[in-house]
Parts: sequence; structure tokens; C-alpha cells
Amino acid sequence: MNRVGLRTLFLKEVRRFSKVWGQTVLSPLITNSLYFLVFGAALGSRLRDVGGVPYIEYVVPGLIMLSMIRNSFLNTSSSLFQSKVNGTVIDILVAPLGVREILLAYVSAAVLRAVIVGCLVYGVARAFTDIGAAHPLWTFTYGAGVATAFALFGIVVALWAEKYDHLAVFPNFILTPLIFLGGVFYSITMLPAPWDLVSRLNPVLYLVNGMRYGLLGASDVAPWEAAAVLVVTLGVAGALSTALLARGYNLRA
Amino acid sequence: MAAPERSPALRCEAVRKAFGRFVAVNDVSLDVAPGEIFGLLGPNGAGKTTLIHCVAGLARQTSGRISVFGHDTVSDFRQTRRMVGLVPQEINFDPFFTPLESLLIQMGLMGVEPDRDKAEALLATFSLSSHRHAYTRHLSGGMKRRLLIAKALVHDPKLLFLDEPTAGVDVELRHELWDEVERLRAQGTTIVLTTHYIEEAQHLADRIGIIHRGRLLVVDDRDELLLRHEGRSLEQIFLSHIHGADAHAAAQ
Repeated sequence: MNRVGLRTLFLKEVRRFSKVWGQTVLSPLITNSLYFLVFGAALGSRLRDVGGVPYIEYVVPGLIMLSMIRNSFLNTSSSLFQSKVNGTVIDILVAPLGVREILLAYVSAAVLRAVIVGCLVYGVARAFTDIGAAHPLWTFTYGAGVATAFALFGIVVALWAEKYDHLAVFPNFILTPLIFLGGVFYSITMLPAPWDLVSRLNPVLYLVNGMRYGLLGASDVAPWEAAAVLVVTLGVAGALSTALLARGYNLRA
Repeated sequence: MAAPERSPALRCEAVRKAFGRFVAVNDVSLDVAPGEIFGLLGPNGAGKTTLIHCVAGLARQTSGRISVFGHDTVSDFRQTRRMVGLVPQEINFDPFFTPLESLLIQMGLMGVEPDRDKAEALLATFSLSSHRHAYTRHLSGGMKRRLLIAKALVHDPKLLFLDEPTAGVDVELRHELWDEVERLRAQGTTIVLTTHYIEEAQHLADRIGIIHRGRLLVVDDRDELLLRHEGRSLEQIFLSHIHGADAHAAAQ
């Protein structure tokens, strides 16, 4: 294993997102502060509790997950795709780096960014609400696991994409609808039949509720269901990204 | 895996690279000896860059075998990539990093502990010291080209590919690069040079290969090639081989 190469690629990716911290870290902080202002200060008194939890607290886990998923996905997808477009991907392809090192470096940096953003959003939530953390270890592990899965999906999309439009397909047309219909802003117990059951087909529902279980101690799905969906998501993302990278799909002629 | 003694710096055995039905490199066999400068000449689309990419890891040959100092470029890719440096034809740069950062990063990627002194020395060699902290996007075309060469040298490659390194650069820089190539040769670096400038190959190369339509038409010692075609320039020899191959292909 090329440990120096792995470390260098990881640090390069960390420095890349650090150099544009306003876009990568500050932006989700401001967006989420606005959510808390709207759902807390502006609408909070008009919204009902959900399962005994104030609405503003109920949405916190979903907003954290939303930020972590978006940031981990965008970190790998934009970095790898941009290096394809500007030709600097050559620097990695000519290096003595195997698939494992490349994946590990890109994904670790993306997960670090997602965890930083997740912690910041949690910090903002603490400023607006009384939310705690019912299961801190679960929360951290689960959040990092979901970030890993979407960082891997970011690699897949970056490899597949041939123009910037392609890069936007997954976050805009697949991820965002799945997240918004995945119980970030509501409980599926509020939905009439058959939509409560249809919602259960959405994997993001389980991921959001996994985080909700970690922070609030209760969720719409059982913890083992959330864990199982995460394991399957990780398996699919890991297998796809490894296979495409090993083939050099859209990278090596 | 231990390489056999006295292995050639580069050995291509019946290398073929096809893109669908288009064959870019067709049954190329070639040895390049350690320490020599090999000039690979050919018109646009001849297969020069594709062949180089197969060696460096940017492409995979459809069939055939390539070894670098006795190590297979597929099964022993970590070893071969540590020994190969590539200056690509197209200028590329990472807008996030400065020349100094780019060199340190490339060292690390190649498996060498980043060494600031060495990076500074390379910047000085290529007259980039005063721009060490500038964003790479602000460098001139010639500076970007020099940075690419410096990046290819961060790990002291034993085999260096220069893929049209002087395309689009001014005469002064071209001569500076020629001096650098001579310096690397003196250090024992094996160099494979592709170029459109015949006089560049004539000036630098010990041996010349002419490739056209993916096939290697001729490989010969530069001086012997010129001697055998007495009274003709290398450019005339090059063109006669290309036209001969075209006429042969048309007749078939």
C-alpha cells in the first residue's frame, strides 16, 4: 500500500474544501440557521409537537442528515469530476495508487467535511433548541456511515458524468426528492394510507430516522431497520464505486 | 518481484490498443535501452500518445505486454509507476493549488515523502521560484508547461516520457528544455520524446522510431538512419516513410 500517497491525497482533498470554506462549511451553516429561524422563532408556536417533541427539535436530525449527505456527496463528486475536466486526474492515475487508496482518501476527506458540517449544524440547533443526544455513539457512527455511503455514490456519479449537467442529476433529481420525502420535516405517522407505506420504500427515510433515533431516542422505524438499510446502502455504493474505479471507467482509456 | 538484470528501460511486446474498431496502436514491439533518448516521431493520430499512455497507466493495452526495467506495467504497476515520469501533451493545472503545493502534493502521490527543499530546487531549475505561491491559473502558458515538467520529475523517474513538451512554446524556452533534457540524460535518465519538431528529435535523440497509423514503421540509430539515407534530412526520411506507408495502405 502507498501510505504516503494515501495520506497526501487525503490531505489534498481536505485542503481543497478548506480553501473554499465559505462555500463548503459556512453555506450549510447559514442555510440551517435560516431553517431554525423559520421553524423555531417564526412558526414554532403554530406547529404541533410530533410525538411529544417540539417541531423545531423534531426536524433537527433530518436537517443534520440532509447537510451531511449533501456535503459528503458533493465533496467527492465535484472534486473527482473537476479533476477529470481540467485534466489533473492524470496526477492520480500515473501515481502508484491502487483502488483502495484512492477510494479511502477521497471518502475519508468527504466524511470529515460531512462530520464537521454535521457538528456545526448540531451546534446551531443547540443554540435554537434544547435538543440533546440520546445515543451519542450511535449518532456519530450512523452519521459517519451515511456520509461514507454518499461519498461513495459521489465517486460513482463523478466517474459516470461527462458534463456538469450530469453531475447535477443525482443531487437535484434523485437525492433532494428522496430527502424531502424521507421524513425530514414530518413523521410518516402523519401520512394517510397508503402513503405511510409507500414512504417505507424510500431508503432515505430509514437514514433520517436512524439519526433521529440517535438524537431523540425515538423514530418512525426500528433502529435495526435503520442499521440494515445503511449496511445495504454502503454495500451497494461500495461495490459500484470499487467496480467502476477498478475498471477505470471514464478515467483510463 | 525482482527484475532480470540488464532489462531494457522499456520493452513493448506486440502491444495493441483498440478503441472499438479503431486500432490506435497495432502490434508495436520496441526496446528502449537504459540511459538513451528515444525520439518517437509520427503525424497527428499516429498512436504516439496512446502508446505512452499505455506505459504510464492512463490507458490499458488491449493485448501485448509492456515492462519497465523488467517489471510488468499491469501486474507490477506500483513498481513501474514509481519509475516512470510523464509530461503530458495537454497543459493541465489544479486551480486550487500553487506551484509549490502542486509539487509537494505530486511527490506524496508518487509515494515520496514531500520534501520542501527538493520542491524549491525544482522550482529554481524551471525558473518558477518567484511564482511559488501564485495560483497556478495565473501562470503563463510557458510557466505551466515548465511546472508540468517539474511535476514529472518530483520522484526522480528512471524513465521519463516527454509528450510533445515544446509544442507551442517560444524558441528560448524550447532551448532551455533541450538543455534540461541533456542534463537529465547526463544523470542517466532514460527519455522517450515525442515531437512534431523533426529538428528537436535530430538534436536530442540517440535513436528514432517512426510510427504511423498505429504501426511502428522504422526504429534505428539516428546517425545510421541519416547515413543510410545520405544527403537527405531527417524530415525527408520521415516523410518518405509516411508516404510509403500510405501508398502501401492505399494499394491494399
